[in-house]
Amino acid sequence: MLLSVKNDIREIDRVFSCIKEFCHTSGVSEKKCFDILIIIDELATNVISYAFNDGQEHTFTIAIDKKDDVVHIRISDAGIPFDPLKKNEPDTDASLESRKIGGLGIFFVKQLSQLVTYERVEDKNQLDIFVSLKEEE
Amino acid sequence: MEITTKKDSGITVVYPSGRIDTSTAKSFEEGIMKVIPDNQQIIISFSDISYISSAGLRVILMAGKKIASMKGQFALTEMSEKIYEVFKMSGFDKILKIYPTFDDAKTSFGK
Repeated sequence: MLLSVKNDIREIDRVFSCIKEFCHTSGVSEKKCFDILIIIDELATNVISYAFNDGQEHTFTIAIDKKDDVVHIRISDAGIPFDPLKKNEPDTDASLESRKIGGLGIFFVKQLSQLVTYERVEDKNQLDIFVSLKEEE
Repeated sequence: MEITTKKDSGITVVYPSGRIDTSTAKSFEEGIMKVIPDNQQIIISFSDISYISSAGLRVILMAGKKIASMKGQFALTEMSEKIYEVFKMSGFDKILKIYPTFDDAKTSFGK
């Protein structure tokens, strides 16, 4: 499935519906679908919020495919070069008072997937995320 | 996002509904932050929440910090298994009070 998405936060709703539909038709469990929704939500939000700074309308793509027990997600945008994987990880052991707000999105993506890679390909940011459908417990 | 609140033994109970994602986090934030100044005992029930992302956790953390600075009490309850997993993954289960049932949360306030 290939989705073209505008850099508008209201698009998230439509993305959710499409991904749920994909999970349903390809037999991905509800639990795994929840993880996939978080991954796509966090990364698409990043693109919508930060990739384009000219105030114009742009589109980026989300591709999702299932092969055997692995879901492959590819997010491509022609925005400013940005590798979200280089962000500092949050301190999940910090106290309430010292816990910083933010930084959790990419951390979730890494936690919920088996592999995430970033590449700048032909003036595009390309993120590939691989999610294993094998239940861990 | 629709948020309803009710009073129970002096505690303000907040019920957000639907998904807390980037597109709804703003109205969730406004709803919660509006309640805090006049209420120092707050329980958020997740009974009607099907999804939460980091944008939602950010609001919960802000609310938790605000209530702590006012020496109030704050608890979260009635989360589905997947919602609780997100809180655990973020380490928020160590800094916020999360109870399985509403009565557990209420009891923790000494009520």
